[in-house]
Amino acid sequence: MIPLIQAILNGIMAGSLLAIPAMGLTAMFAVLRYANFSIGALATIGAFAAWYANTVFGWSEIPALIAAFVVAALVGMLVEQLALKRLRPAGALTVAIASIAASVLLENVVRFIFGNDLRAFDTPLVRDWFFWGLRVGPQQLQNVIIAVVIMALVFGFLSLTRYGKAMRAVADNPDLARIYRMDPQKIAMATVALGTGLAGVGGMLLGLDSAIEPMTGSRLLLPIFAAAVLGGLGSIPGALLGALIIGVGEEISLLFMPATYRSAIGFVVILLVLSMRPQGILGERR
Amino acid sequence: MRLNRRAFVSATALSALAALAPIRAIAQSTGPIKLGTLTPLTGAGGPYGPVMAAAAKAVADQVNAAGGVLGRTVEIISEDDQTNPEAGVRAARKLIDVDGVQAIMGTWASSVTTAVAPLCWESQIALATVSGADTITQLPHQGYLFRTQPNTALQGRKFGEFAIEQGAARVFFMTPQTPFVESQFGAIKAAVEAAGGHVDLLVYDDKKSSYRSEIDEMLAFNPDMLVLGGYTPDTTVLLKDVYRSGFGGKLLAFAYSVNQKLVDELPADVVEGIFTISPSPAEGATGYSELSQLINVTSPDTYTAQVYDQINLILLAIAVAGTASGTAIKDDLRQVSQNPEGVEVANAVDGLQALAAGQAVNYNGASGPCDFDAIGDILDCQFRYEQVKDGTLTWLKTA
Repeated sequence: MIPLIQAILNGIMAGSLLAIPAMGLTAMFAVLRYANFSIGALATIGAFAAWYANTVFGWSEIPALIAAFVVAALVGMLVEQLALKRLRPAGALTVAIASIAASVLLENVVRFIFGNDLRAFDTPLVRDWFFWGLRVGPQQLQNVIIAVVIMALVFGFLSLTRYGKAMRAVADNPDLARIYRMDPQKIAMATVALGTGLAGVGGMLLGLDSAIEPMTGSRLLLPIFAAAVLGGLGSIPGALLGALIIGVGEEISLLFMPATYRSAIGFVVILLVLSMRPQGILGERR
Repeated sequence: MRLNRRAFVSATALSALAALAPIRAIAQSTGPIKLGTLTPLTGAGGPYGPVMAAAAKAVADQVNAAGGVLGRTVEIISEDDQTNPEAGVRAARKLIDVDGVQAIMGTWASSVTTAVAPLCWESQIALATVSGADTITQLPHQGYLFRTQPNTALQGRKFGEFAIEQGAARVFFMTPQTPFVESQFGAIKAAVEAAGGHVDLLVYDDKKSSYRSEIDEMLAFNPDMLVLGGYTPDTTVLLKDVYRSGFGGKLLAFAYSVNQKLVDELPADVVEGIFTISPSPAEGATGYSELSQLINVTSPDTYTAQVYDQINLILLAIAVAGTASGTAIKDDLRQVSQNPEGVEVANAVDGLQALAAGQAVNYNGASGPCDFDAIGDILDCQFRYEQVKDGTLTWLKTA
């Protein structure tokens, strides 16, 4: 029983970190109607921005987190303006492929500037707490709390602010939103800023836990995408739920499966969801 | 495609010539003894190849100055394999068919060695390599191939033996999926179980950002020593989680993964006390200091030491056989490398003198004792053991 509870705990901690970029991905899908695969590289960029702020300027975690959000959002908007926006008339698939290209490009820019070496944040490493035969990392717990706060902020933004409401309106019914004189351009850019900023924050939180290098974000792309698809692409609560299920599923799988196949969970989930319930758990009707 | 008459005639003539090409120079019994080096002068192995070739030339000069072998001089022909199998095969063809060498030494990348090996055994040429892949000596080379680089099985044995030496009775091996997991783990297991210990293996996915559950599995085994088989990126992540888990046992890793860079990057508490192992030339041995003087390099790397040993062994084998051919080298290599009755020698000149005086020789070189098993793997070599102390990798022993 203890190993199972431990695996669930580990899974919740892993899943809550996946949830943030997954929410970003799904928000952009809801409004813009294409899957932006560049969030992998943008997560890396956010992580490196935060790392730079932390180790060079000596910023603590929360200001570094804001730096991760802002830098990733700025780069994300730049990519949208320069490349993806022009391709939107060519269809969602074209834009998605272009976003993969942008991802490769961004990753190599990071590599060019910082090199391939591993970088770790300048934060003290703390031993785990032990109780009832279980162990929990204070650092991971702190990351979970940060993740929960960010999720609350995102929900607050979407339900309380003008831009948030407008995004939901466009996601719900673009034509109706246009009739109400909402500027689709502005809303699109605000969504991109939110989505890619969240990816940057997610990248940083994951980096805090381990270390970062130019491939950090793209390694996470599969579980992030799986979480968003599982929850229902376009549904923010769905992304959260999906991320938790993927996180817990991956950890529990270790109890009865060799660890080498852990990444397969993401693939299997995508396969099952797309073939049995394409709209995902909390997805909209199609 | 259209050909005019002249092009057609010359093409026919060329292809007729090409058909004759495989007739290679037959081992001559006069003139210089020709040996080839096929080292990477460019590509990933570029930093090592030039020194390797220079070491082989230096040995040939030394031997020639002392009167040569079988009354003949030794000539070294150096080619560049570009760390590329295709270029390696082209260069090997040139060495065998055009130059008529009796042995090729120094192939570095496993891919190059694997591609070049069939040319050698088909032409009955000896091939001496510094590549480490386990599969190489399993090729059907009929004895024409031998290597001075330890394979993974030998490295695994060293890991297991070191664990026992450190008093670890329960050893846990955590590694990502690599082509050598099986042989590495098999050798660790054999060494530890021979001493009455227990071992277990966990193969993890090296792309994960956290290994908490994997660590839980490791802790459940309650090991005295954790052996890390990964590369630097995943080992960094793993080591942090190991530290957090409060694991109290010892840690052992490959020196290429727990390097100074990793040590600098992680907090001091996390890396303190980790042991590392890497193959090492025979530092302190006569052969090693002689090589150092010969090529005027303070501490020659392991590949240079190995090529030095390869040419010495080949020349001694030729002298014992009384004839310079790949088959002679194949047949008599072990006569000079591991003859229990032989006098110990560390260079070809001394060995040739001993042989001329009617003595048997046992070569112990710059890279190690240079004793080979039936398929051409070395039986033992020195390894370098280091430990992280106060944030620096400190030398423990070379053995």
